[in-house]
Amino acid sequence: MSKQPKSTAKVRRFSKGFVLAHAVNAISFFALYITALPMYTEFFDWLYPILGGPEGARLLHRIFAVAFVSPTFIWIIFDYKGFKVWLKELVTWKKRDLQFFTEFVKELFGFNFKHIRQSFFNAGEKINSLIQIFTAILIIGSGFPMWFPQFFPRAVVQWGYFFHNVGFGLAIAVIVGHIYLSVVHKSSRPGYSGVVTGEVPAWWAKDHYPDWYDEEVKKGNFPNLDDPKHKKNKGA
Amino acid sequence: MAEFVKYVDVTKCDGCKACMVACKNWNDLPAEVTEFQGSVQSHPKTSADTWNVLQYIEHENGKGDLEYLFRHSSCMHCKEAACEKVCPENAISYSKFGSVVIDQDKCVGCGYCVENCPFEVISLKTYKDKNGKEYRKSQKCTMCTDRLEEGLQPACVTTCHTDAMQFGQKEAMLEKAENRLSEIKSRFPNANIYNPQGVGGTHTIYVLAEKPSVYGLPESPKVPTSAVLWKDYAQPIGKAMIGATTMAVVGAFITNSIMSKRKNNHDEDGGGSHE
Repeated sequence: MSKQPKSTAKVRRFSKGFVLAHAVNAISFFALYITALPMYTEFFDWLYPILGGPEGARLLHRIFAVAFVSPTFIWIIFDYKGFKVWLKELVTWKKRDLQFFTEFVKELFGFNFKHIRQSFFNAGEKINSLIQIFTAILIIGSGFPMWFPQFFPRAVVQWGYFFHNVGFGLAIAVIVGHIYLSVVHKSSRPGYSGVVTGEVPAWWAKDHYPDWYDEEVKKGNFPNLDDPKHKKNKGA
Repeated sequence: MAEFVKYVDVTKCDGCKACMVACKNWNDLPAEVTEFQGSVQSHPKTSADTWNVLQYIEHENGKGDLEYLFRHSSCMHCKEAACEKVCPENAISYSKFGSVVIDQDKCVGCGYCVENCPFEVISLKTYKDKNGKEYRKSQKCTMCTDRLEEGLQPACVTTCHTDAMQFGQKEAMLEKAENRLSEIKSRFPNANIYNPQGVGGTHTIYVLAEKPSVYGLPESPKVPTSAVLWKDYAQPIGKAMIGATTMAVVGAFITNSIMSKRKNNHDEDGGGSHE
């Protein structure tokens, strides 16, 4: 790891639209999780009085359910370009994405690792996105027959309970890792500000997403961090 | 304790509805005004306030004859009850008599049991507390478990004046059903004993004069496959998964702390932060 003092320069990673969509998604997900927790395990039945009884919990769950459906639309409306980049990245898989995972395991447990060059989203983020898309479809899709059983055949409602359970079970397991990496894990947590202000430290972006960073430098959007030390290399 | 069974011989029923009245009376259930059903039948099906309904079915038996079929319908008290399986609050349980009962204090009114009962017997009732706030509870026939505990028989059985309903130990009731079946086979060739094994057998068994479907009963009811996958697989696996990822990140946190301590020792005078 480098011993030079880190540059304090910040670069914009996410648009305000994305930050809003991400926040609505995160808050509604946890609100949904908490309002349904006593239904998942009796250990959390003490939450009922706090949530206004089973009726209050059900009402809150439905309010946040509506919020949970909105992030995709928020992102599309306020940052269609960013949304398109995301979709494109999700279907782009190269050999280096597989290499990423072997290095990621080392990184996760704090061993020495090397950065595999990644574009705007790294392979781990892409997997996370794909799982969250999949589970959101399961959760939202099954939520409708559970909320409005009178409009669906009985079998659909019954399978709805199953898929709702599978969906959030998988989602919460992945989210534990997602949150750990964003707020606790040493090497990745500098990126946390990306979902709060939209900006991340330039040095961190360059380390983690060199392809994206270099591209933005070429476009003249980001500072070339190598500049002060290698002035003669200054491009174009 | 021996298993107890309510035996219902529909061929002896004369459709007097005394069982319905006895049920309302003992369980203190309010009257439920309904529209005319097109027959003598008073209610379309069981509900939160009407735990048993006497069915009146006009059935053409295929020989050009009209059979007027009656059936006392209420909770089947399955040995493997779907409602018990899906209840998230363990509010539904089996009594020592084999009846399936709802603990009203534990019930949160989610309606999972309503949607999963293969016989569509359970219903939600909406109540109002003293502040006018509405809440719901699941309701169905209890097989008069409170009476059984006092050594009495279910109210519907006690009141039945044709002995179409009887209550007793499972073996004795099954034997009675077999005997009755052989007696009526000549008159009702489709007669059968309804004690569906897909739900492990039931604690209400019927001698039916016609096929179950004629009475609106499922021919081979079972605990929904979705409910089994949900409760026996998805839920425990989900809980294990969140445990596994939590352990992984805790492990990662520990190894990271150890590793960065080692690195700090190596370049003590490096001075810089590793952030």
